[in-house]
Parts: sequence; C-alpha cells; structure tokens
Amino acid sequence: MSSGQTILLVEDNPDDEALTLRALKKNKILNEVVVAHDGAEALEHLFPRGSAEVQLPGLILLDLKLPKVDGLEVLRRIRAERRTRFVPVVVLTSSKQQEDILDSYQNGANAYVRKPVNFTEFSSAVSTLGIFWLLLNEPPPRLHAPSD
Amino acid sequence: MSQSPLKDIEASHNLPEARLYTAIVNSSDDAIIGKTVDGVIVSWNPAATRLYGYQPEEAVGQPMTMLCPADRAGEIRDILDKIGRGERVVHHETVRRRKDGSDVHVSVTVSPIRDEDGTLIGASSIARDVTEQKQARAAAELGRRAEALQRANGNLETFTYSVAHDLRAPLRALAGYSEALLEDCGDDLGADGRSYAERIQAASEQMAMLIDDLLQLSRVARAEMHLQPVDLGAEVARITEDLQRGGPDRRVRFAIQRPVQVLADRSLIRTVLENLVGNAWKFTARQDEALIEFGTVPAGEAGVCCYLRDDGAGFDQAYAGKLFAPFERLHSAGEYPGTGVGLASVKQIVERHGGRVWAEGAVDAGATFYFTLDAKETP
Repeated sequence: MSSGQTILLVEDNPDDEALTLRALKKNKILNEVVVAHDGAEALEHLFPRGSAEVQLPGLILLDLKLPKVDGLEVLRRIRAERRTRFVPVVVLTSSKQQEDILDSYQNGANAYVRKPVNFTEFSSAVSTLGIFWLLLNEPPPRLHAPSD
Repeated sequence: MSQSPLKDIEASHNLPEARLYTAIVNSSDDAIIGKTVDGVIVSWNPAATRLYGYQPEEAVGQPMTMLCPADRAGEIRDILDKIGRGERVVHHETVRRRKDGSDVHVSVTVSPIRDEDGTLIGASSIARDVTEQKQARAAAELGRRAEALQRANGNLETFTYSVAHDLRAPLRALAGYSEALLEDCGDDLGADGRSYAERIQAASEQMAMLIDDLLQLSRVARAEMHLQPVDLGAEVARITEDLQRGGPDRRVRFAIQRPVQVLADRSLIRTVLENLVGNAWKFTARQDEALIEFGTVPAGEAGVCCYLRDDGAGFDQAYAGKLFAPFERLHSAGEYPGTGVGLASVKQIVERHGGRVWAEGAVDAGATFYFTLDAKETP
C-alpha cells in the first residue's frame, strides 16, 4: 500500500522506532517514513529554514515526551501555521493519563493512541492508523502557500 | 533630690501612692486580677471585664476557677501551689472561659504578693488575650505545611509522569523483540527457546499491567472529589450487564437492590463497584452457577452500609486484613489473574469518602465485602 504520501514519525526511543517501522512493513504500508528523533528535528523538517519547499507528510505520528521540544509544543506549532494546520497528527505515546489525553486534544490532535506493550496489538494499531489516515480519510484540499 | 520618679509624680500631682497604682492598673490593657492564696478574686480591673465579660461586682468574691474550662480546673490548683511555694508563673499560655461561655487563649503571669513582713497574702494575675498571635502562628504553620505539601505533590506528579511515559517503553521493546525473535528466528530457536521468548512476552505484559494499576492507585489517591447523588444500584446493574456481555456463557444470577442513593464522586465510586463486582465475577468463574448480590444493611450511625456478596471461591478469614493492602494477593496468578491493586484502590476511595471497608468470607463459601459511606442515604 502506498498513496505517495510520507509519514513523519516523531520518536526518540530507538526501540519504538524500530518496532514502528517493523509494524508498518509487516502490514505492507510502504509509504516513505521520515523519522525525527526529537521535537526540534520535527519542527526543522516541517518548517525548514530559508525558502526550501517541503512536501508535507500525509500523517504525523507524534510522541509526547521528547527531548528538546516536547510533543505538545510541536503540535501547537503545527496547528498555529496556516500551511500545516490541517495535517493529520496522531499522538502515539506510552501514557493514558487523563491530562495527557486532554492536553493533546486541546492542542488539536486528530487522534490519541496509546502504544500497546503487546507487539501484535501494537502492530495492529499502527496498521489501522496507516490505513485510516493515508487511505480511507479524505484529506482537506491543498491550500495555497501563503504569498508573503 | 527625691527617692524615685514615682515620688516625683506623687509630689507634683499630690496623689497618694495607692491612688496612683490604682490608676495604672485601671488603665492597663492587660487583665489584672488580685486573688487570695486560696484563689478567691479580690480585685478586678476594667481590662479584666473586657477580657472575661464579668463586671467587678460579679467577679470579686468568686473563685478563680470560674474562669477555667472544666478540663483545666486542676491548673488553678497547680498555679496556687506554686504561689504558695513563693514561685512565679511566667507567660503561661492557656485557655480561659468568658462569661458568655466562649473560650479565649491567654498568656498569664501570676506573682505572689507579700505584706511588709514578707508574709504571703495573695497573688496578682496578669492575663493577655493571645488569640490573634496564636491564630497568626497557626496560619504561618499552616502556610509552611501547605508549601511542603505542594512541593511533595509536585514531586509526585513528576514521578507519575515519568512512570506513565518512561516505564512502559522498555517493556514494549522486550515484548516486541521477543515477538520478532519468534517470527524471524522461531525455527532456529527450538521448542525451549520459543517457550522462553513467550515467557519474556508474558512477563512484560504482566509488568505493564502492574504499572497501570500503580498509576490507577495513585490517581484514586490524588483525584479531586466532586460529590453528587449517585444510585449505586443502577451503577452495579450497568457493570453486571457489561460483564454478562463479555461472558455470555456464564450462568450468574444477580440480586441488586435499587435504588441505593448516596452522595459520592461518581467516577471514583464507580471504580469501587467495578472492582468489587469484577472480583465477584472473577472468583465465581469456576462454578456452573453463581449468585452475586448487592444491597444495603442497616447502618449503625448516620450514613449507609453497602455489601457485595458472591458464592464463589471465598478466602481464608485469617488473611482478611491482607486483602486491602496493595499488591497483596490471596490467590496465585495462575489460579485467578490480577495484580492485587483493585481492593487497595477500593479502600483508598471508600476512606476518602469518610467510610470504611471490610470483608467476610470462608474458603469455597463465598465472600462479602462491606463498605460504609459517610454521606446520608437520600430518599
């Protein structure tokens, strides 16, 4: 399965990164995956310095607890920018604490998924997310880049 | 020139010494009371009237004990004993009772009075209202404690956040790579190797469950309470419906008293009922038929006493005390699954509602869990 859209995986834990990539591959989700290892790297990818045109990802899988810039701040920045405000962001994290879930939705997350410990469940969660957001879901029409 | 400044004042104003002293006593802000060695009041200044509410004519001739709350009557005796030995009592902080029955915090200094020959003839008692100082000290102490508590709470929140976010990641790696091992190298592992990998997976999941339960326990201890009317019977009925849907083959009869109206935090009290009903469901799983009952029994004082009874595996009453301690289990994980946190949460929540919880049971003869709630049952 490939719709030509990339996935931006924002994940600092190398094991979680490897397991997520394994789950995507196992479920034949062959879209290109860009990995950002902390919040700052994610922001650099989405908002590159200078005038470099960057293709926006079709889906962002965002961890909350990240080095440098945390997930909620990345989410706020994404929602604050006209160019990125509609990009689907799924918070994919360890916690199911009420505050984390609430904070994520309050800052405009499209979904909140807790990473299951069991790999079969984890794999099925990642696959469901990929299929839903990259294939089933109809993305908003491409917005014109701001002319400033 | 003259012997003392006092003599100067006497001379310039033509005042006899006694009148001068009386004027000083009368203008004092402190209550100044003269009494005999037996503790009978002989003089009473205007500040004493302001402090205690008695007019001089009501006080003079009465025993000092009339200013004492009943539980401090012995104090007056002790003070008089000291005076009798020629000692003073300095800045003694205590409580005195006013005419209107209210109590006042005072600091008292009592000194012996002697005549010219040095014979003890009575005592002077000087008392000052220290309610405000006391309140200020208490407020300061309270402030310090609140600050310490806030710090502790902040630390706890950081700890909880770290547990929720960091502790599960290594478990995902353990479970995930074990699974990868089984999938990619399963043939090379052999039967033993595969069984080891499966055990690693199972242990990781067990620990993940423990972490979740720990977080739940910390949540029930910290969550803010919002009391509202809740029908416990209706809540139990809803929980049993869910359980029945999850196990349609089980033959369990339910006898649920409705309504059982209480004032409680809905989310927390639901956790109590889910745990108790869930336990009853779990510990009757090995029998063909089961009966689970929920109802109330007459509560001694105000409040309500509920019970949740099953006719399942039960427990040895000798270990009843251990049931509610976190991570204590009376059954092995192989027999009945669980982490031993459910009943600890129940206890936390019931106690936060001002109630208590206890259990009665016998091996293979079922268990009954009782809990009281402080809030009155509303009709």
